[in-house]
Amino acid sequence: MWRFLGTRIAMGAFTIWITTILVTLLIHAVPGDPVQIMYAQSQGTTPEQIEEVRRSLGLDRPIPVQYVMYMERLLQGDLGATIRGGQPVLEVILQRLPNTLLLACAAMFIAIVIGVPIGFLAAYREGTLTDIALMIVAIAGISMPHFWLGLMLLFFFALELGWLPVSGNGWLNLILPALTLGLSNAAIFARLTRSSMIDVMSQDYVQTAFAKGLPKALVLRRHVLRAGLLPVVTMMGLQFAFMMGGAIVVENIFSWNGVGRMAVEAIFQRDYPIIQGFILTFSVVVVCVAIAIDALYAVLDPRIRRS
Amino acid sequence: MSAATHQDGPKAAPGFLRRLLSSPSGAIGLAIVFLLIFCALFAEMLAPYNPTKMGAGGRFLPPGGDHLLGTDEFGRDMFSRILFGSRITLLIGAVAVGISLTIGLAVGMIAAFRRGWIEAILMRSTDVLFSFTETLIALSFVAVLGPSLQNAVIAVGVAGIPFYARTCYAAALVETAKPYFEASISAGAGPTRLVLVHLLPNVLPTMIVVATLGVSTAILAAAGLSFLGLGAQPPTSEWGYMLAGSRDYINRAPWLMTIPGIAIAMTVLGFNLLGDGLRSSLDPVERK
Amino acid sequence: MNALLSVKNLSVSIGDKALVEGISFDLAPGEVLSIVGESGSGKSMTAKALMGLLPPMASATGTAMFDGANLLAPHSKTPRGTGIGLIFQEPMTALTPVLTIGLQLTEALESHGLCSKDEARRRAVDMLDRVGIPDPAARMRQYPHELSGGMRQRVVIAMMMLLGPRVLIADEPTTALDVTVQAQILDLLKEIVRETQIGLILITHDMGVVAEMADHVLVMKAGKAEELGPVRDLFASPAAVYTRDLLEAVPRIDAVSTRSGLDTQTLLSVRNITKTFQTRGALFKSGAAHRALDDVSFEVRRGETLALVGESGSGKTTLGRVIARLTAADAGQVMLEGTDLTGLNGRDLQTRRRAVQMVFQDPYASLDPRQTVGRTIAEPMIIHDTLTKTERTQRVESLLDKVGLSADMAQRYPHEFSGGQRQRIAIARAMAARPTLVIADEPTSALDVSIQARVLDLLEGLKQSEDLTMLFISHDLAVVRQIADRVAVMRNGRILELGPASALFAAPKHPYTRALIDVAPVPDPARKRGKRPVLRGDYPTGPLREADVGHWVAT
Repeated sequence: MWRFLGTRIAMGAFTIWITTILVTLLIHAVPGDPVQIMYAQSQGTTPEQIEEVRRSLGLDRPIPVQYVMYMERLLQGDLGATIRGGQPVLEVILQRLPNTLLLACAAMFIAIVIGVPIGFLAAYREGTLTDIALMIVAIAGISMPHFWLGLMLLFFFALELGWLPVSGNGWLNLILPALTLGLSNAAIFARLTRSSMIDVMSQDYVQTAFAKGLPKALVLRRHVLRAGLLPVVTMMGLQFAFMMGGAIVVENIFSWNGVGRMAVEAIFQRDYPIIQGFILTFSVVVVCVAIAIDALYAVLDPRIRRS
Repeated sequence: MSAATHQDGPKAAPGFLRRLLSSPSGAIGLAIVFLLIFCALFAEMLAPYNPTKMGAGGRFLPPGGDHLLGTDEFGRDMFSRILFGSRITLLIGAVAVGISLTIGLAVGMIAAFRRGWIEAILMRSTDVLFSFTETLIALSFVAVLGPSLQNAVIAVGVAGIPFYARTCYAAALVETAKPYFEASISAGAGPTRLVLVHLLPNVLPTMIVVATLGVSTAILAAAGLSFLGLGAQPPTSEWGYMLAGSRDYINRAPWLMTIPGIAIAMTVLGFNLLGDGLRSSLDPVERK
Repeated sequence: MNALLSVKNLSVSIGDKALVEGISFDLAPGEVLSIVGESGSGKSMTAKALMGLLPPMASATGTAMFDGANLLAPHSKTPRGTGIGLIFQEPMTALTPVLTIGLQLTEALESHGLCSKDEARRRAVDMLDRVGIPDPAARMRQYPHELSGGMRQRVVIAMMMLLGPRVLIADEPTTALDVTVQAQILDLLKEIVRETQIGLILITHDMGVVAEMADHVLVMKAGKAEELGPVRDLFASPAAVYTRDLLEAVPRIDAVSTRSGLDTQTLLSVRNITKTFQTRGALFKSGAAHRALDDVSFEVRRGETLALVGESGSGKTTLGRVIARLTAADAGQVMLEGTDLTGLNGRDLQTRRRAVQMVFQDPYASLDPRQTVGRTIAEPMIIHDTLTKTERTQRVESLLDKVGLSADMAQRYPHEFSGGQRQRIAIARAMAARPTLVIADEPTSALDVSIQARVLDLLEGLKQSEDLTMLFISHDLAVVRQIADRVAVMRNGRILELGPASALFAAPKHPYTRALIDVAPVPDPARKRGKRPVLRGDYPTGPLREADVGHWVAT
């Protein structure tokens, strides 16, 4: 198991390292002069100021040198300063990251709590009307753009019914964005759970459990559910990454003050230090969650735990 | 689709189509996709108004009457905009999936066929990109290239490559390990013949399913970017962009929100159903 | 004696399609009833019907009286576990991978309320000990993947016996196991029947297993009973034509072999081949090494059939693949007619390798599903020969004819053919390359016994008419005895004995060969056999020494 986790951690570290390279290169991929573009929108910048920025970002040096400079600052926790306002990027991100993580976790919780039981029920009733109806709902859920679902929820629950606030950052404000993100992913979990359970139910060991005369409920709970949930657990890391991606859109709909909303604003304002910081943060979060999920999986599956 | 029937061989084609149509999801999906293609092809003839002409009727006319789906804040006819939007949407799906599929197929097949260090480099980098997630790749691309529909489509296409490459690689690995492939090696077949005659036709069915489902993902992703303002720019009749504009009039004209949303959802549903149908009619395990 | 289980007119159908029709038999305590048949005969479906484990769409009619109740009556419940137990074919998948052995053994005892938790544990340990599992207390805490296939099958047997059933149904319980392990499991089952006086229904396709185990035999074909009778009568004078055909098709390990190899020149010379497989870590090439081939040398003479025999993991398949250059050896040479195949690369290899062609085990994966049969067979000609299209078509048709198929089949796709037909097509493809050496890797293992016999005849015929040399890889000694001139016995990547078939079968010189021959089931109920020799691990594995003329044994 330590070997398994060791390779996963090494792989994650490798991914983050590649990200730092890509992030350094990113600014050079921009067609034209990045500094000019960044300051195009703010008036009254003198050529001297632009040169100053160029120097401070190290953009006048060869790329490998830039990378070393970037890494040196990064290891000291310095992600640079925002173009607009000149605040430290790390500070800006850390201020908003908890909001995004909160949203993603809440959505994950909703997705699992709704999706997994539905998938299990559908598999249990495979081929019946219940199964078909649930799977129609699930595929409709997958097909629904979550930005549209968000708008609809906003329209009904906030505007028409007035039950929930339109925007803001309180607990009540969390409900709609989390539902938006959670519901569309619940459909994915439902489909995955169903196919995994159906697969397990046709296995010899389930037949063997029945042949021992175990009651159906016990077979399902002990033999089917435990083995059938393993693929669902492996998918959770990837799903969390999707949620983080989805959060970008959802935060914008509900004016939820997370890193996604910050990133989109930064793209409009060409604030590259923020974009760089965002990409790096995003990959660190995704990699950490993936490793945590792998650890969970390793504990749950004895074939890995005891190897 | 046409490629799938072709690859299934001339004899098997009718059986394949029959299986596809006899599965409810396949039949419904195919119908929706055909309807969409029809709308896209004949948008000029079907549309009662010019989609970008302002003041075609009054502003914020509710659905019904002269304007089947109402008008928007500039008095543009919604029905015409939706029709022309289907053309853009299909184009987005086709181009983005085209990019992902072509490069994904090449990377996956080369990695599985050549093995060794080529395989290691290709698949390790694919793994790294895959863990970035498609959203982040697409967003980074738009951040670099600047917001436009064209850039959004390229971004979505590139973002899809890791997934296509991995799926293709997995499928190709299975095929190259099969005895028929080794028998061809034994017969003295060279790399070109092995890849084009044996490998490609056998991974294509899987990849066609992936691509069909991928059209859904691509359309959703591109519409999402447009919704954020990072894709289509005015006055394009792109559905995601239309949806974004509806936010300001959500109380006054809710149909501006519901109609493009339904259009996107139906399109995506169509491709999802078709993909599911294709999968079960191509997969011998699910074949009953 | 009263019957434990009395089945009358059992039928199973899905919709209006009958899978099993009118099966009747009685089973007495302490009796072994064998249900024998080829694939699709309905033998497994019969077992599932008795257990009440039919798939939802299937329904059963008839009566099966057990303990005063009809198991097939609507809404009746088979006393699963406590009344009738069931053992599946595949021990690797019969145990839930995420639960401990202990839990899986004890859960049914507790669930049936047969005893307390502590008592269940104690009984489970005793039963593990009883079925021959060493250190049973430690096994209780282990997971299925930590046990070998044979051990797992013992665990499954223990799991079922713990519940004290009076009837045990074993569905091909040893088919997935190596022949030496099979012998141990069969012995265990026999012992259990003798001691506990349960009734055993043994479902199998193997006439050897039937002859060894059964008291009564039910022969099934296409869902119907062909014949039911005591085992000796059935083997001595089969009443049904089908039974007779089946018995005739079975290769016999005790048949008289006159084959002793040809004294011709050497065609293929394998020298000091070594191959180690590295289990790869995710990032770095580390991990345990598995030595698949360990300094293997032998020669194949022109025109002969040399068989490579061994159990799983012996390296026989790897050796075949190394010779065909499908796997690269770490060291050693493969000299074919004076050329070292291991030294060839690129174009040279592509042109030279047509001389060695393979026939693979799995008929379903052997043919490209997207190519017509004609194109598949024509491939070697397209690559190497400068034939016109008409000439090619003619040659494909003549090859199809040679392997016993009709010329018009060239236009069809593989999925339209049966397993046996596909194997014929694969043989035609191999012949199309005009090889000098054909490597047949378990070419009949996936086929029913009657089809196996015909494919073996075909290979034998082609070898004569096309002047071929054949390397025949198999785990089945009886098949080898029928087809081989010389035999090489392999284990753990080394050849332990190599000699003329007649001498090797009549007087095996290596203890491992002797054990292999001893444990192979023989389709003859009259053949008495004592307690099997325990296979020790400490037999000689050193270099080969010529013990007799042309007969080599490891020292």
